[in-house]
Amino acid sequence: MRPDVGVAGVAGLAVTVASFPLGAVAEVVAAGAGAGVLLVVAGLLGEADEVDEVSAHPQVVLVDGADRFDPASFSGTACSRLLWVRCQSAGDMLKAADWLVRDGNVPTILLDATGLARRDLTALPASGWWRLKQGAASSGCRLVVLAPFPLVVSASLRLVLSAGLTLGDFDCGRDELRQRLRPVAHQLRHAT
Amino acid sequence: MFAALHIPDFPMVAALRGRPEVWRRPCAVLAIPAGTVRQVPPGLLAVNPAARVAGLAAGWPLNRALVRCPDLLVLGRDPVAEAALRAELLQIGDALTPDVEITTEDCLLLDLSMCSQAFVEALETVALNGIELSHAQSITPDLAHLAVHHAATRGRLVEPADLAALPLEVLGWLAGGEAAGRGARLPANAAAGVGAGRAQGGGGAELELLAGWGLRTLGDFMQLPRQALAERLGPAPGRWHDVLHGKVCRLLRLHRPPESFCQAYDFEEPAVALEALEFALKRLLHTLAARLAARQLAADRLDLQLVLESGAVISRQLRLPEPQSSVAGMLPPLQAWLDSLRLDAAVSRVELDAGSTFAIAAQREWFGRSLPQPERWAETLAKLEALLGPGRVGIPVPPVSFKPDGFTLRPAVGATGAVPNAGFQPEAALPLHRYRPPCAVAVASELRAGRPWPLALLSGPHPGRIVDWRGPFPVSGAWWEPAAAWQRLEWDIQLDSRQLLRLVYQTPDCWHLEGVYP
Repeated sequence: MRPDVGVAGVAGLAVTVASFPLGAVAEVVAAGAGAGVLLVVAGLLGEADEVDEVSAHPQVVLVDGADRFDPASFSGTACSRLLWVRCQSAGDMLKAADWLVRDGNVPTILLDATGLARRDLTALPASGWWRLKQGAASSGCRLVVLAPFPLVVSASLRLVLSAGLTLGDFDCGRDELRQRLRPVAHQLRHAT
Repeated sequence: MFAALHIPDFPMVAALRGRPEVWRRPCAVLAIPAGTVRQVPPGLLAVNPAARVAGLAAGWPLNRALVRCPDLLVLGRDPVAEAALRAELLQIGDALTPDVEITTEDCLLLDLSMCSQAFVEALETVALNGIELSHAQSITPDLAHLAVHHAATRGRLVEPADLAALPLEVLGWLAGGEAAGRGARLPANAAAGVGAGRAQGGGGAELELLAGWGLRTLGDFMQLPRQALAERLGPAPGRWHDVLHGKVCRLLRLHRPPESFCQAYDFEEPAVALEALEFALKRLLHTLAARLAARQLAADRLDLQLVLESGAVISRQLRLPEPQSSVAGMLPPLQAWLDSLRLDAAVSRVELDAGSTFAIAAQREWFGRSLPQPERWAETLAKLEALLGPGRVGIPVPPVSFKPDGFTLRPAVGATGAVPNAGFQPEAALPLHRYRPPCAVAVASELRAGRPWPLALLSGPHPGRIVDWRGPFPVSGAWWEPAAAWQRLEWDIQLDSRQLLRLVYQTPDCWHLEGVYP
């Protein structure tokens, strides 16, 4: 079954959890420097939400491929919703993501591959991404991959960010920057 | 038949237990724990016989006691020794009867109604490693409790009439016992006197009033008409009246030791393969599951300990996301941990313990999200920890200071209570991708206003000319500790390649990239 992906509805809107389909793999690609790709993490953690869901369990898992997540860059409430998995290689990242996707207990899994070297990422087998897609489809969770270049061959949705942020944007609020992300959805073609 | 076991001068006995060389000196234990600071002069909680000979008594202010006895050795309470002594007293009580109440920290009440005469007679011979242990028996627990606190009634079977000659102040122990029943924690005071009775924290006003009426002994109190007493002074003195006449026989608040689920399996031949280890573990888990099911409990924590042939011990505590009582729910996380082990020697013994809680039988929360498959979650976390190592999976907590990268990780399971540092808000609008460790770079710089000023990055992952910057932001911390003090200058910079970075300068002439804003 092919998940229903609202590609047209994503472009131009702020990136939130609802922007990504359940049971599928989505990819967010940073096009150039200052793309603001980590603002997607802030959106997925719901930093701007005023009403907090009461939960004793994490709502988002961040599989951090290069161990570069900075807790001091996010609010304390947002961090409390996150389970941080600190990997040190691309292989560990893919293996950890596979276990978490198939576990199915957390609805949103974020795979941050932006800190890894291009050589390591291209060395990952394509079958690993297809396996993640099948796992997401069977468990019903959404997998969002942050990548420095188009990487995930099995992605159902690919958003390209090119906010072109400068130092002058540091004076703006985070919500305003998220509104300015302007993601562009790329139509993907799959044989199945 | 009830009996009371009591250690006179309990805090003093505990404090002097490991110091026999000062037994003969006048000693006193203060009414405050050692190491605490108080503004008012503290009083004496307990004194030893040598101090009594010198004329001191419990309740005296310390300054007055030192004037009377300059050689007085003043000690603080020793909570560890007191706990050990209390445990030994409880062990003696448990050896006589299973029905034991911990009335105060220095006194036990025993229900001897189901014991044979031999056990009752054994009371005469009980001893506690050379420590004086007094006892008294009576038909009600409260009468035994009162009798054991006065020398005239210790060591024998006491009838209500036997208490008539005791001083009125003994009632203070009864009032104190009632306060303990309401949850108050009592100071141990072995001296039976007005001060001691008042120190118990209950009935002080009534006792003063009764003393003002000219009553001196319990016999005087027992002769008062009960109804008129209760009408004038309230229900508490009326209850004391009933107790003294033996009309009230309350139920004991029985002490039940916490149940242990600890099990062990000794291998005849030390195990070198995982299969043998898992087989033993399954046996232990089946027993554990049966014991939990029989008590309608579930395990929320598993403690596994492997004893190796070399003598080394490897321990692991696993917290389960939701309480489990089945083998299928408890085994996978243990298996995942065992899979990741690389041992130097064969395993000769396995020990398994569990923390128990009530199984979840309630409806799920309406607004809260529960785990669909908690048993699978525990297994996944165990596999992640086995893959990445300890301390690599958890819930991040932002730093409480400006120290760079000073975050902490909370465990993914079992972290209860309020979220620490929940009010933290980030300073920068853009999140940072932090290099761990920071990336050292060569920087072309110049001096401006006595400070180094970066112009270009000459090496590192992002070399280039700096076209824009914010800063410098001087940051420092721990300046009150010379060894841990740190100081640095931070810039947010933009290169001609449009890359946004955080650059840090630390003396002497050390530049590094702290992170990138992707």
